[in-house]
Amino acid sequence: MDVQVLYNIIHQDAFGLNIAIYFYLTGLSAGSFILSTLAYGFGLEKFKPLGKVGVVVATIVLIIAPFFLLIHIGMPSRAWHLFVYLNMASPITWGSFLLILYPINCIIYGYFMFKEHMKLTRIFGFIGIPLAISVHGYTGFILAFGKARALWNTALMPILFLVSAVVSGIALMILVVIIKDRFFSKEKKIDKELILSLGKLMAWMIVFDLFLVASDLIVLSISHSDAQAAAHLILAGKFSPLFLIVENLLGKIIPFIILIVPRFRTLPWIIVASILVVVGIFFMRYVVVVGGEFAPLL
Amino acid sequence: MKKKAIRYAMLFDLRKCIGCHACAVACKSENNVPLGVWRSWVKKVEKGQYPNSKEFFLPLVCNNCEKPICVTVCPVWASIRRPDGIVYIDPHRCIGCRYCMAACPYGVRYINPLKKIAEKCYWCHHRVDAGLKPACVMACPTDAIIFGDLEDPESEVAKSVTKNAVQVIKPEIGTAPHTFYIGLDIAAVEAKQERER
Repeated sequence: MDVQVLYNIIHQDAFGLNIAIYFYLTGLSAGSFILSTLAYGFGLEKFKPLGKVGVVVATIVLIIAPFFLLIHIGMPSRAWHLFVYLNMASPITWGSFLLILYPINCIIYGYFMFKEHMKLTRIFGFIGIPLAISVHGYTGFILAFGKARALWNTALMPILFLVSAVVSGIALMILVVIIKDRFFSKEKKIDKELILSLGKLMAWMIVFDLFLVASDLIVLSISHSDAQAAAHLILAGKFSPLFLIVENLLGKIIPFIILIVPRFRTLPWIIVASILVVVGIFFMRYVVVVGGEFAPLL
Repeated sequence: MKKKAIRYAMLFDLRKCIGCHACAVACKSENNVPLGVWRSWVKKVEKGQYPNSKEFFLPLVCNNCEKPICVTVCPVWASIRRPDGIVYIDPHRCIGCRYCMAACPYGVRYINPLKKIAEKCYWCHHRVDAGLKPACVMACPTDAIIFGDLEDPESEVAKSVTKNAVQVIKPEIGTAPHTFYIGLDIAAVEAKQERER
């Protein structure tokens, strides 16, 4: 039967580009931090050159990120309310404390690392790992609490965000390490061994990410009607070019092929793969945030 | 018998609704709602093809839920559920983070373009506290909107909700809405307007 909407109002978007950028930046930061602790926390010697770069990138990116929140909120002069009137049930409250604790811990961890104080670096590295996981994991809970939005309201959201954070973090680290080695190191020589092992790590994290995205989609497409509509929106609707081509084909599948096929294991190809991943994960955040609230609720 | 606490509720009798938008206009005027945003509005849906067709109206206000997700997600307790069931926003507390807008399953919240804080229908609590009915109830020419205390067995809303088959919008979300409808058509709820990007 024909059903036609003759009149309805258009609702404002709740989140949007600013929040997508914010989620993207916290993801980059958490991913970089976790890589930094591989050497200084877990003692994986081959990743040692990542330690200092990782913590510097993690700190800088996380100091930039909250400014997108301040742009987003209507009353930035009231941001102090977040620390005074606490609703502990709200993920934003968790986040307002994580956004203070995590950069402070990053700075302390980095300070001891540059002072070559290995024991304290290790301790603050281990304190930092749950903080890094939380500071990005909580953003997944922010979306998951939007219980009317089918694309957001899934328990997979925090882990999906974390895995894509690690993927984007590795890609960013590859690019930063290459730029640092090429232009700012004494020898001007790129540590190819390190780049290749990072590439391998990234390839398998991409597989995990694709597995999570596929699980999410499979369940969405057989779940309730709003979920099916959300699956349709990203598979065949207005967000399908971004989701299928930019996010998954260019941002995950092609980089994965580049990273596992032996003849592409050269620096230029790894740089291409990393750039594709860094851009692809940005569009992942964009599709989740903006696509999730795109469909009208009533 | 001990008198129970007040629990306000609203009932739309859609058999009487003529889709005149008087409730939406009265609301705009009563609450100084700026251009481009609405606290209450009437969605209109047409089923079938002329001559075998009928228009259905769905007047929408805040559901003032028993388990409001907007109150759960508000980080600063700006959204509060009063003991009488009205969910309202403290205009001096809200930071405009829009999380309540993202979480509300009914899309009733908006950011006031002038004040930059979240606002929504709160059943005109300023009028209700003064012993008056909400503006939309007073404006409705066909008496299709009934407002009152659901816990008072003698109230009109309690009688109507008891004696009629009533529905709420999206009961599956689990927010326990307290805006009830008589004669709600599922197509009027589920029909979605295609959005431009």
